[in-house]
Amino acid sequence: MRRVTGVLGVTLGLALVLSSCGDGKSGGNGSGAGGDKSMVIAIAADPLEYINPLNENGSPGIQVAQAIFAPLVTTDPQSGKTVNVMADSVTPDKSSQTWTVKLKTGNTFQNGQPLTAKDYVDSWNLTAQGSTAWKNNGFFSKIEGYEALNPETPEGATPKPTTVKTLSGLKQVDDLTFTVKLKVPFSQFGLTLQYLGLAPLPEEVRKDPDAYKRKPIGNGAFKLDGEWTAGGDIKLAKWDGYKGPNAPAATAITYRFIPNADTAYNEFLAGTVDFVDVPATKVKTFKTDAPDGWVTGESSGANYLTLPAWDQRYKNPKLRHAFSLAIDRQAMADLVGLATPSKGLVSPDIDGYRADACKFCDFDVAKAKTLLAEAGGFSGPVNINYNTTSATGQIFAEAIGNMLRQNLGLEVKYTGKQGSEITELADTRKLDGLRFSGWGHDYPSIEDYLSPMFKSTGDANFSGYNNPELDRVLAQGDSQSDSEAAIKLYQQAEDIALEDMPLIPLYAKQNAYLHSAKIEPRVSKYTGVQALYSTFQ
Amino acid sequence: MTRFVLRRALAAVPIGVIVTLGVFALVFAMPGDPLRELAGDKPIPAAVLAAKRAQFHLDQPFIVQYLLSMKDILTGNFGTTFAGADIADQLRLRIPVTLKLTLLANAFQWTFGLLFGIYAGFKRNGLVDRSLLLVTLVLLAVPGLVAYFAAQYVFGVELKWFPVSGIREGFPHAYLLPALVIGLLGFAGLARLMRTSIVETVNADFVKTARAKGLGEQRVLWRHILPNAMLPIITFIGIDLAGMFGGAIITESIFNLPGLGQFMFQAIKLKEGGVVVLLSTLAFVSFIVINLIVDVLYGLFDPRARNV
Repeated sequence: MRRVTGVLGVTLGLALVLSSCGDGKSGGNGSGAGGDKSMVIAIAADPLEYINPLNENGSPGIQVAQAIFAPLVTTDPQSGKTVNVMADSVTPDKSSQTWTVKLKTGNTFQNGQPLTAKDYVDSWNLTAQGSTAWKNNGFFSKIEGYEALNPETPEGATPKPTTVKTLSGLKQVDDLTFTVKLKVPFSQFGLTLQYLGLAPLPEEVRKDPDAYKRKPIGNGAFKLDGEWTAGGDIKLAKWDGYKGPNAPAATAITYRFIPNADTAYNEFLAGTVDFVDVPATKVKTFKTDAPDGWVTGESSGANYLTLPAWDQRYKNPKLRHAFSLAIDRQAMADLVGLATPSKGLVSPDIDGYRADACKFCDFDVAKAKTLLAEAGGFSGPVNINYNTTSATGQIFAEAIGNMLRQNLGLEVKYTGKQGSEITELADTRKLDGLRFSGWGHDYPSIEDYLSPMFKSTGDANFSGYNNPELDRVLAQGDSQSDSEAAIKLYQQAEDIALEDMPLIPLYAKQNAYLHSAKIEPRVSKYTGVQALYSTFQ
Repeated sequence: MTRFVLRRALAAVPIGVIVTLGVFALVFAMPGDPLRELAGDKPIPAAVLAAKRAQFHLDQPFIVQYLLSMKDILTGNFGTTFAGADIADQLRLRIPVTLKLTLLANAFQWTFGLLFGIYAGFKRNGLVDRSLLLVTLVLLAVPGLVAYFAAQYVFGVELKWFPVSGIREGFPHAYLLPALVIGLLGFAGLARLMRTSIVETVNADFVKTARAKGLGEQRVLWRHILPNAMLPIITFIGIDLAGMFGGAIITESIFNLPGLGQFMFQAIKLKEGGVVVLLSTLAFVSFIVINLIVDVLYGLFDPRARNV
């Protein structure tokens, strides 16, 4: 008898601990109160360490910065057209080389100081200095005088200090006007001004950015609400001083950082957050997990298979076309989940996108075999590099590998590496074989897909591709001030790239999100799904 | 005793150098470029890369990087991570989190492990003993990762007894679920060891002698069996406590507890040598201290060990 009571005693004790915990729990964020327009947005990433849009090019930081800072111009979610926010007008000269930006009157920073042209000029100069080591430095490389602030440094060497502190192409005209002179004409520059990496910082922040890394002073619709400590949630409250268009409906927003994406998803299911990204592991189940609260959005993310231009074996365009024709894009898209096969180099939500731009992107095994034979076959195994830090890297690599093996009879091998190692090997032209790459635009222009990836000097030229003819056509597009004519030229450049095929288009991925019954996120063909602009029930 | 402690502390210095140097070399040898990893898919301009490399001494040879790192640690000048986090700030935030989690988990593990182990060992082949064998067998077979996510889903998402993740609800509430799961998973080993140790001691000659002298059962248990049976347990608990740090990497990630384990995971992911070495040094120092305490306790339980 004593043995039994012993077990019972302990079990009862445990039950008591558990039930007392149950009592302690009382409604997570207290959603559903009448007229309450607050929401909690989960971000599946490590907590931010600072808020400085000029030193931020990753999604988590940009999301938060978007609430606190307002851009010069933005894309209208309904029409897809560019509308002014802080800018009153953005005008190019005849050649599209010098641009004049006039600011609206009456805008201030959240510390009360008026927002002036000087704030933009000084903030941009600060970021354009390589020694500041801010991530959006590269944006200013188009402006005249960039080189003087960023002297060429050989790989591994310490950068030389420079006494130049300002971009020669950047001039303040009066309190609300400044001009930007570019190195070469660039017809799309106006569109790029919606990039948040160009946000202005007020003078006190510019003087000592580190002191303000956790107490940003912005010019956007929200300001920091109370203290923000390391590792903590970021709480924002509506700021009445924002007079721009496109103001969000929320009065309070909490950004909660949960590094493990599956845990963030579970937090949503438990009802403690209002908005969460669907992680790759839940793509098959999210519709049943939250039957009334999911949205998917056309993403601007395009995904490619990248061929190495430095490897002689892949030189022949016919071989590249054969590879492309041997890939069953629909099967690949099904495997990825929430994806559509792509037959062009540009994302579908961009002006100038053509659904059938690629002539060699159908699934045609017979033609693929013919082209491979005409190219003289392929010697040795095709090596496919995949990212080991991505859960799906190996699966996708094997899917592509199997298609090449079965349809073209090629020998295939796989190499798993850290993402940064693949990038480094590709940058130094030492990567052996194929790899995957992806691209999402910074500003909604067909040009933002072509210049970075296909121009010989493009900063995201993954394949080491170089074709002077394409560079020439791109430059023509850049100097064409008529936007229709510019798009025609860019499409011509896309055709050249598809003919040479340094990247094989694979699929465009959609993103999925869950949201609580309290909010309805904004879904736009042009700007994607945005929790920040949710409407409230 | 003071001499013993001093001797141990001094002996730890060369070991510490070897351990930190080894860890640093391992991180250094890892493939990939931390600054590119930080940048994600977006390209970073050469000028920024060069400036960041110089800022974090990544342009220096291995041994210089190591020495600079050690200098920073020893002078308490921790600096920032590659991502811009103030390391001293992070330690202030994270050390209490890991300590609370570890101590609570160990409290569960020790309470249940010792209670069940002693009871089962003393009443061998009884109901408790047999149930314990079965339960521990099941627990030992469950992978931690599965148990953590299952517990989170059942008790956090479905039953809502505990918060799903994070430390917003404070101590002990936010820590109870992860600590219970760690405690339960660790309890199996401890309970089995305790039981075996008791069973072995119960049958020892000195216990028979004590019983033959006519001592009461309680006195035999508390004065003769337990002190002797506890010796292997103390060693186990010491090693276990020191090993909690490694286990915390997974638990803290899944339950989103901003502790040292999560910090270590981020640092390894970003190939952040300085932080990995700093955290390894912390782990190493706590390992040395715990070992010292174990040895002192050993001396208290077993007089023979005092002069070793």
